[in-house]
Amino acid sequence: MSRYLSYIAPLLTFAILLILWEFLVILNKIPLYILPAPSDIISSLMLNYLDLFSSAFITLRITLLAFFIASSLAIFLAILFSQSRIVELSIYPIAVIFQVTPVVAIAPLILIWVGFDNAEYAILILATIVAFFPVLANANLGIKSVNKNLHELFSLYGAGRYQRLTKLQIPFALPFILTGMKTSIGLSLIGTVVAEFVAGSGTSTGLAWRIIEAGNRLDIAKLFAALILLVILGIFLFLLISYIEKLILRKWHDSSII
Amino acid sequence: MLILKDIIKNYEVPVLGPIDVEIKSKSFVSIIGASGSGKSTFLRLASGLISQSSGSISYKNNIKPKMGFVFQDSTLLPWRNVIDNVLLPSELTKQNNSESIEKSINWLERVGLKGKENSFPNELSGGQKMRVSIARAMVQGGDLLLLDEPFSALDEVTRRKLEDDLLEIWETNNITVLFVTHSVTQAVYLSQRVIVLSSGPGIILEDLAIEKNLKDDFEETSEFISQVRHLTNILKKEGREL
Ligand SMILES: Nc1ncnc2c1ncn2[C@@H]1O[C@H](COP(=O)(O)OP(=O)(O)OP(=O)(O)O)[C@@H](O)[C@H]1O
Ligand SMILES: [Mg+2]
Repeated sequence: MSRYLSYIAPLLTFAILLILWEFLVILNKIPLYILPAPSDIISSLMLNYLDLFSSAFITLRITLLAFFIASSLAIFLAILFSQSRIVELSIYPIAVIFQVTPVVAIAPLILIWVGFDNAEYAILILATIVAFFPVLANANLGIKSVNKNLHELFSLYGAGRYQRLTKLQIPFALPFILTGMKTSIGLSLIGTVVAEFVAGSGTSTGLAWRIIEAGNRLDIAKLFAALILLVILGIFLFLLISYIEKLILRKWHDSSII
Repeated sequence: MLILKDIIKNYEVPVLGPIDVEIKSKSFVSIIGASGSGKSTFLRLASGLISQSSGSISYKNNIKPKMGFVFQDSTLLPWRNVIDNVLLPSELTKQNNSESIEKSINWLERVGLKGKENSFPNELSGGQKMRVSIARAMVQGGDLLLLDEPFSALDEVTRRKLEDDLLEIWETNNITVLFVTHSVTQAVYLSQRVIVLSSGPGIILEDLAIEKNLKDDFEETSEFISQVRHLTNILKKEGREL
């Protein structure tokens, strides 16, 4: 019962909102270039599905690639930190500097460095920077959270660094890492879109470009259609990571971990 | 088995010692004392997990015995099923083979967990986890078993069962047991010898050889009751002096 409710309640609320929206637009005769009704958005989506979906695919590809690079790099660094305190002390602050710098502020610089012809690379780099930190922070925390008794258990049997890392620290940190990844996948998408905006028209053809283009032409229905695709993409990516998390942690999550 | 000589352990403040004690091979020794008196520290020192600030620890024939350690919480790895948890010591010491698998299965059977080999820790009760932990400590065939308040989180019935299981394991395997507990009755019931630590820094207040003539119904005897009373009085007096 409550399981179905958790699906039905939000869907129902959403459907009611859509219907309200539709009627408000029709009743108040709001013009299409201010606020299109949901039905207009859907027809625009069907009309433009070729550009929109190919743009969504471009955005998705960069998002996934940035997410993958960011996660791998972050996990690698967290492992490195766990092996050497000096490395951690030296590098962590740099990671924090990247984290607190607004991506928009460094975008022009990156664009100049990689060249405007390679805007896609610039977008990838920017999205990676945005997505990187949550995984690093969580992986680092996870590895540090290993219970003292567990470390002592490993010491008792003379475990070496490598055994400790692979049989204790990494598995222990896994739920933390996955939590970081759930934040990071969303940030990766946001980073990609923001970077696409900054990179500007003509250089990239992701969803942000479709939004700019539709806005310039006052095609608000198409703008909304692109926006909706973006939201769907975000939800899909989040669910994907959640699903992977569930698969991996199926047997041993929550209660048993702390 | 184990001789501790003038052992002192300090962290920021002194927490234990000086302690002078010899643990005889194949004996069952309990350590009791108030919270913070240094009981866990004592076990960690004896196992070599931490090193003393001063004094010396020597082992029989100068060979560090194989040890099993049962921590207060069962310290199972939640991502491993029961059999893989029990196999961990063999894996870490690179002795993982069909023999160790067989031994693990045997030990799980001995602690009453036959059929649970493939369960994960979060599918087990507290008592079952503790049994896995004991099996894991035993599977390497250790000579010295150290237990840090292993049964304190368990219900009375399970605890009694595990106590008797532990006694049986001790008797049939010719091992030495160092057992930390809060419970005076448990210490007297289980051990041949009870060491009482003062509140921190812990020193030995009393070192009592337990007399038990008949084994069954030991708890009903006046010997049992008077020894429990004796130790309880020592702890109470120590508590008052704080
Ligand atoms: N790693 C540590 N660093 C600093 N102080 C410690 C450390 N481990 C233990 N102590 C201190 O040593 C003292 C003895 O601790 P210990 O854990 O041995 O007590 P205990 O007798 O086992 O207590 P309990 O019955 O509550 O488990 C305590 O005051 C504790 O604060
Ligand atoms: Mg303790």
